[in-house]
Amino acid sequence: MKRQVVAAAVALAMGSTLAACGSASENSGDGGEGGPIKVALIPPTSGALAQFGTDAVKGWETAVRLANEAGGVDGREIELIVKSTDADPATTLRVAKEAVTQDGAQFIGAVMTSPEHAALNAQLEGLGALSFNALGKDDALVGEQCSPYAFHVVQTSSMDINALASSLSELPGDKWAIQAVDYATGHGAAEKFKAAAEEAGKEIVLEQFAPLDTTDFGSYITKIKDSGADAVFAVEYGADGVAFVQQADQFNLDNQLETVLGFNMVSEPLFETLGDTIEGYFNNVGYDVDGDNTENQEFVDAYTEDHGAAPYYVPADNYLAAQTLFAGIEEAGSADPADVSEALGDLSFDSIVGAVTVRAADHQVLRDSYLGEVVKDGKALKFSIQSNATPDVTTPEPDSACSM
Amino acid sequence: MNAAQVLNGVALGSLLMVLSSGLAMIYGLRGVANFAHGALYMSGAYIAYTVSDRFNFWLAILLVPLALAVIGVVLELVFFRPLQHRSHIELGLITFGLALMAERIVVLIWGERTLRVTPPEILQGTTTLLGVEYPTYRLSIIVIALALAAALVLWLRGSRVGLHIRAASQDIETAGIMGVNVDRVSLIVVSLGCALAGLAGTLAAPYIALDPGMGNAFLITVLIVVVVGGIGSIGGAMVAGMGLGVIQTVSTVWSPSFAVVVPYLALTIVLLWRPTGLAGKRVS
Repeated sequence: MKRQVVAAAVALAMGSTLAACGSASENSGDGGEGGPIKVALIPPTSGALAQFGTDAVKGWETAVRLANEAGGVDGREIELIVKSTDADPATTLRVAKEAVTQDGAQFIGAVMTSPEHAALNAQLEGLGALSFNALGKDDALVGEQCSPYAFHVVQTSSMDINALASSLSELPGDKWAIQAVDYATGHGAAEKFKAAAEEAGKEIVLEQFAPLDTTDFGSYITKIKDSGADAVFAVEYGADGVAFVQQADQFNLDNQLETVLGFNMVSEPLFETLGDTIEGYFNNVGYDVDGDNTENQEFVDAYTEDHGAAPYYVPADNYLAAQTLFAGIEEAGSADPADVSEALGDLSFDSIVGAVTVRAADHQVLRDSYLGEVVKDGKALKFSIQSNATPDVTTPEPDSACSM
Repeated sequence: MNAAQVLNGVALGSLLMVLSSGLAMIYGLRGVANFAHGALYMSGAYIAYTVSDRFNFWLAILLVPLALAVIGVVLELVFFRPLQHRSHIELGLITFGLALMAERIVVLIWGERTLRVTPPEILQGTTTLLGVEYPTYRLSIIVIALALAAALVLWLRGSRVGLHIRAASQDIETAGIMGVNVDRVSLIVVSLGCALAGLAGTLAAPYIALDPGMGNAFLITVLIVVVVGGIGSIGGAMVAGMGLGVIQTVSTVWSPSFAVVVPYLALTIVLLWRPTGLAGKRVS
């Protein structure tokens, strides 16, 4: 009896392993030729990023609704498989494998953080699935962590900071203080900003870094006041950014400043929390909701109809990810991930952010970046686009560490 | 170093003072390292957000400590009193579990996005003091915290209940034998300790940004304050809280990276130099 149980267990284990191998290599599942094209979405559904995860899915849902109503992509229906993760790379990887091997997904979207993308990129070729990154901004994802199966739809951190740097000369203020998070992104942004400030003839009077999760910015703000700065470049995220803005307001720091320029500090989801304090603040903007092209107008109308509010950068960038995938399938005339990957190389198409090109060398989508000013729109706040920087200004040359 | 930076240190110290005195009271009497104290502080801040959003901030200052005092009564009657003969580690673990639950409940009610509380209009803007322009709200925190500290010390030293609390904190069994109703004293101390956490949360709400992790960020610092002050000593915790706030702010001015390790450095030095903490066995 005992021997039978062991034999059955071994057979079951071998069967599962073989089934998993078969799915990984074929990965067609139910989505073979003629069936629906399956896209797995793996957003975080818990933790601080849960709201962004929900909004990422909303962007994909609107894109899929519009595509299916128009007769599908390359004549085939798109089906979304919504999974969930806690934004831990190990969890995301496990869920991605499950989506590909068990659910038959060939494409992956709505993965949130850069570490998750780094872990996923390393496994994509083995899984035989394509990933469309609309949220992780780390430059390494198009550098040493790039993959022929990964597409970087969102701007990288370098593109964002280069967009700000190119507009710096237009901003009021000659004596700048840098207030940044004591983290790689904070130091990287500060370095780039200093170089741009020097080029624009601006003086840096103070440079200081606060540890992540700083709750009291009092001593930092006092130093900015004492420095005689008339402008601040601030790189503080999430709760740190809210605390900095709130405390700067309490210290009347704004009275001394002609410009507050944030880097990923203020964004639409924080407008209600930050309130009128941030009116007049400048920040980098990845997506212009007022973008004047028919693709964008169709998206904004459809998204507002579906979800009851206008889109911001998270759903918009995920919608762009879907547009990129659909353009690749149409170009390839096939939903085979390898064919789609090849078809997307150097492909240009019209999107919600205007004409974009997928750079073959690192799969970065070349698109404009913007400088926005927070302005009042009735009772609410919105970004008013002040200038845009084209990809030839913002996008660094492909990293030699990336081999496709 | 200018006067504004000294005031920054005193403001942070004031907040630590209110928060750590509640924790020190509970530790002194029950011998429990209440790991839920950070969660109580965080819950206080979130309740203050809702009360000041619907009504006003002044009502929050009154209501939140009362609400937290009720939670303190529940903590005492449901956990601390029935489990008083269990090991301190077990009780500590229970409070740790309660803290995790509180964090999830806060997320379920208020969500995970960062929130902000605006101070009442009269406390907005700046006031000129010692030749510097300083946020009025921070000055009011300093005044409230110092007044509270004075009242607490006077109450502990001058009232019969205060005498009983000091006696029970020195030796709860002997105090019981001498006729002190230690259950009543314990109920007062735990509910008052929780109310102080609620008050600290309310005062902190317009000072810092509200997020569900805000309690954890302060808990470790406050635990260090209590140990440095002298375990169970309310007066010691107040002095240590103020001292650490000032030292940490001053070191932030010179080196923010170094300021992060200041609480741990202070803990190490005090434990080596004076293992019983600054106040030793004195309660108030």
